[in-house]
Amino acid sequence: MAYEPVLTKFVKEPNCYTLDFYKAKDLGYEALRKAVTTMQPNDVIEMVKASGLRGRGGAGFPTGLKWQFVLKDTPKPKYICCNADESEPGTFKDHLLMERNPHLLIEGCAIGCYAIGAKVAYIYIRGEFYHVQKVLEQQIEEAYRAGFLGKNIFGSGFDCDVFVHRGAGAYEAGEETALIESLEGKRAQPRIKPPFPAVSGLYNCPSAVNNVETLANVPLIISKGVEWFTSLGPEKNNGPKLYCVSGHVKNPGVFEATMDVSLKELILGDQYAGGMKDGRTLKAVIPGGSSTPVLLPDQIDIPASFDAVAKAGSMLGSAAIMAVDDTTCMVWLAKNLLAFYRHESCGKCTPCREGADWLLKLLTRIEAGEGQMKDIDLLLDVSKNIGGKTLCPFGDAEIAPVLSTIKHFRHEYEAHVREGCCTIPAPWRGTRAPALAGHH
Amino acid sequence: METVTLTIDGQSLTVEKGKTVLQAAIEAGITLPYYCYHPGIGVDGSCRVCVVKVEKMPKLQTSCSTTCTEGMVVSTRDKDVVEARAAVFEFLLLNHPLDCPVCDKGGECPLQDFSYSFGPAESRMDFPRRVFDGEGVKADVDFGPTLMLNRNRCILCTRCIRFMREVEGDAQISVADRGNGSEIATFEDEGVHSLMSGNLMDVCPVGAITTRDYRFKSRPWDNPSVADTICTFCSKGCSTSEWIKAKPEWARGSSLVRVTPSYNPDVNGYWMCDIGRFGYHWVEGDRRLRQPMLRTTAGTLEPAGWSDVLHALRAKVAPLAAAEASSVKVLASAHASVEEFFVLKKLAEGALGGVNAVSVLWSRSEKKQPKATTFVVPVTDAPNVNGARDLGFAVGAGNGGAADVSALRAAVEAGKVKALLVVDPAPAELTGDFQWVIDARAKGMLPLLVVQAVEMCPLVAQADIVLAGAAWLEKDALFTNDQGRVQAASQVLSAPGDARPDWQILIDVAAAFGVSLGYLSDADIRKAIAAAMPGTPYASVADVAFSRPVAAKHWLQASNPSERWKWDFMFQDLPPVKGHSVQTEQGFVEGRVIPLKPVG
Repeated sequence: MAYEPVLTKFVKEPNCYTLDFYKAKDLGYEALRKAVTTMQPNDVIEMVKASGLRGRGGAGFPTGLKWQFVLKDTPKPKYICCNADESEPGTFKDHLLMERNPHLLIEGCAIGCYAIGAKVAYIYIRGEFYHVQKVLEQQIEEAYRAGFLGKNIFGSGFDCDVFVHRGAGAYEAGEETALIESLEGKRAQPRIKPPFPAVSGLYNCPSAVNNVETLANVPLIISKGVEWFTSLGPEKNNGPKLYCVSGHVKNPGVFEATMDVSLKELILGDQYAGGMKDGRTLKAVIPGGSSTPVLLPDQIDIPASFDAVAKAGSMLGSAAIMAVDDTTCMVWLAKNLLAFYRHESCGKCTPCREGADWLLKLLTRIEAGEGQMKDIDLLLDVSKNIGGKTLCPFGDAEIAPVLSTIKHFRHEYEAHVREGCCTIPAPWRGTRAPALAGHH
Repeated sequence: METVTLTIDGQSLTVEKGKTVLQAAIEAGITLPYYCYHPGIGVDGSCRVCVVKVEKMPKLQTSCSTTCTEGMVVSTRDKDVVEARAAVFEFLLLNHPLDCPVCDKGGECPLQDFSYSFGPAESRMDFPRRVFDGEGVKADVDFGPTLMLNRNRCILCTRCIRFMREVEGDAQISVADRGNGSEIATFEDEGVHSLMSGNLMDVCPVGAITTRDYRFKSRPWDNPSVADTICTFCSKGCSTSEWIKAKPEWARGSSLVRVTPSYNPDVNGYWMCDIGRFGYHWVEGDRRLRQPMLRTTAGTLEPAGWSDVLHALRAKVAPLAAAEASSVKVLASAHASVEEFFVLKKLAEGALGGVNAVSVLWSRSEKKQPKATTFVVPVTDAPNVNGARDLGFAVGAGNGGAADVSALRAAVEAGKVKALLVVDPAPAELTGDFQWVIDARAKGMLPLLVVQAVEMCPLVAQADIVLAGAAWLEKDALFTNDQGRVQAASQVLSAPGDARPDWQILIDVAAAFGVSLGYLSDADIRKAIAAAMPGTPYASVADVAFSRPVAAKHWLQASNPSERWKWDFMFQDLPPVKGHSVQTEQGFVEGRVIPLKPVG
């Protein structure tokens, strides 16, 4: 059964990002029209709930439920905050959606606002996405001009504004409360929960923070119906899904599929990433962005769904699948990722701020062949002291590469200690990892 | 009061609804460490040392951010908790310089003490420490006119940031950089410029923020005594602790080295301003009057004995009043205590034709504070305007307004006043404008000037008779603050040399005018006040107990008012904390306010 893409069907066509194109070939704001003229806000929430749409940002929380939790009986304004910070290493799906199909997101934002009783949606876009921001802002302008945003949309009395806010480039801003802090003009640092954003979010008002791909799915559900959505993919993992496949593969990129596609197909299948580059063999897979535990090649013949990947001991996360070949030193890989996490730790809470630095120092020492066997156990112990003890999930994210590489590749760590040098010095590796450039 | 009942470490506790687990634990005397939490500045949840295990919750919870619920079962000693807590202490000390022997906080440092109690015995960190600004003393950098900052010691609890944002009202401090490079910073390194800056030393749980006034001056174990009293530099009357450092054995005695706020929920909360905190130096300064003085026939002021000056008063001034009561006037500073005003009143009524003979003077200054501040320092630079008012003296526009001495000034400048008695137990610059008195003297319009003062100043230099009085720290006295709260200031030090408490001087002065009062002590005066003012807050002042310096045996009695608060709850089995409050029927008179209830 060939799957017909709906999110990225037209992304390779010229002008696919324009309003005219969206009106001629795609949804054309008909889902928004349907929602605001024929449905009550609660009907929209019920429909999204019935579809079983799960958040595409990483945690996979049911979107309809999230919207239902948004406090209704309050005089305060409510907000949709679209999380377009896409900063998980290996993830680049939202980038593509916003650049090539921005109106789907804008329509999703407007429907989301209608559903939770908000009048404003903020698209918090990653600092580095300067060119994407320009596209989005232009197309939002077009949508205003066409009457799809602004006052009294489709004569329904529903008002909706969408603003784009560009972050200053912090991984942590992708955490929902840190995103809210940053939107408010503060440092991107997480807030203590509870209260959850649904009760007290942006400007201490009820808010829903949704990923780009999540919101882009909403108009499709409204337009094509719950049955269409639930017919795609395995139970509880329904709907279209974007996968970012990268690493040592022949054809890296964003692929749209349903969640019954297997991780193996996505990496090795010809219609997807097309297998490993230069005839090398697959060594490990990071299935959901750099903060998810590594899977071995014999673990990847599973559906690339939230539940199946979780069952295998990892997470689908943002569906950023990184395939690693046999020329890769796993100690180096962990060190490289920890350099990123050490650089991106916001510094608010103690275990993450101090622990990430310590982990990186230990990994650097081991990778350079100067470590001792006890350093490997120390890595595990420090990781244990970070995991689950931080203010936000960052702590769990930064230890995942350490724990899972030691779990599966402890022999490589031990080899570094024994041999006094890196045992798998791949020719493609620079003498110094680029991520370490900012390390001081 | 709605309550909930929970269990902490097997102990069933009933607490007010809405309290956090940390608050409940502290009140119950269960030791839990904390750094980012401070009862005066709210919850941040970032330091992670206050973690506890709550039944039915999968992860450990920070007790500072967990609200007590009915039936909640909490453990602070579970194995997971003990390990997680120790891990956080290991993390906190990874980059902390451990220069405790040269750190001002050493000996009264929550990081030091809690690390000993809850941290691992040794660190597994074998990398060089993170260093900002340089190693050792180079790390001490300017942090504004009153403070120094040592970023190496900082554990990023952000109390200082939140104090500035929430209490001071001007968020001058922030974190620069992020992650492991995070550091406390001010815009363009210009430092903290605030009337409240000293509180940053109090809230800092390590030696990162120190005051220029106290740094390197003493060590906690060299400050054997602490006395609780109030500040009298303005009409607010903050509760304070006066830290007394022992002099070397050969020098004997002790000296005042530091003033910090002590918790008083009704007046100052946990805070005090820099005016009161750093303004104590004059008390033991070189300008203090150590004995009475008399102007000689040669025109110079020379030291004299008390009998000489009182004789001079009896011989020169009293006859003027006897001849014409209105020819002798009194100019009293609102720094005089309730007792002193009471004696003055008796003197004025007995010999000077009534209370109108006394004019009350104080100075007034607008304090530069941000609009958003929650701690307003009053404009009135004197502690007892309301005390003078309550005793029936004319006090101009009262607290918040200006003093009115225009009638006296006109009379002096017209030459109608033959003798003027100035009573000012504070440095003249705190009391206000005396220049017109000096000018009248220079013009020969004021034949006799008697000054009862504590410091040498231009006014004292013009006097014929100088009476050496005592500063507020050198006598037991009452002051009525701008809320109308009668508060007790306790004697912490002895008056220097032959100087005497002002109430005693004024009794003698009254006697010289033929007004015999028969009070043998300040307590006698308070008895008389209580008898004279039934039905007022003063009716119970006879019962006021004054605190005395007591030995500070533990850092929890330390400068940090939040830690003091803990002391009151956690170590009830130890000797009582300094001072004690005296609750009267009116509920108004307070000996020293020691909190018996923590902040809600």
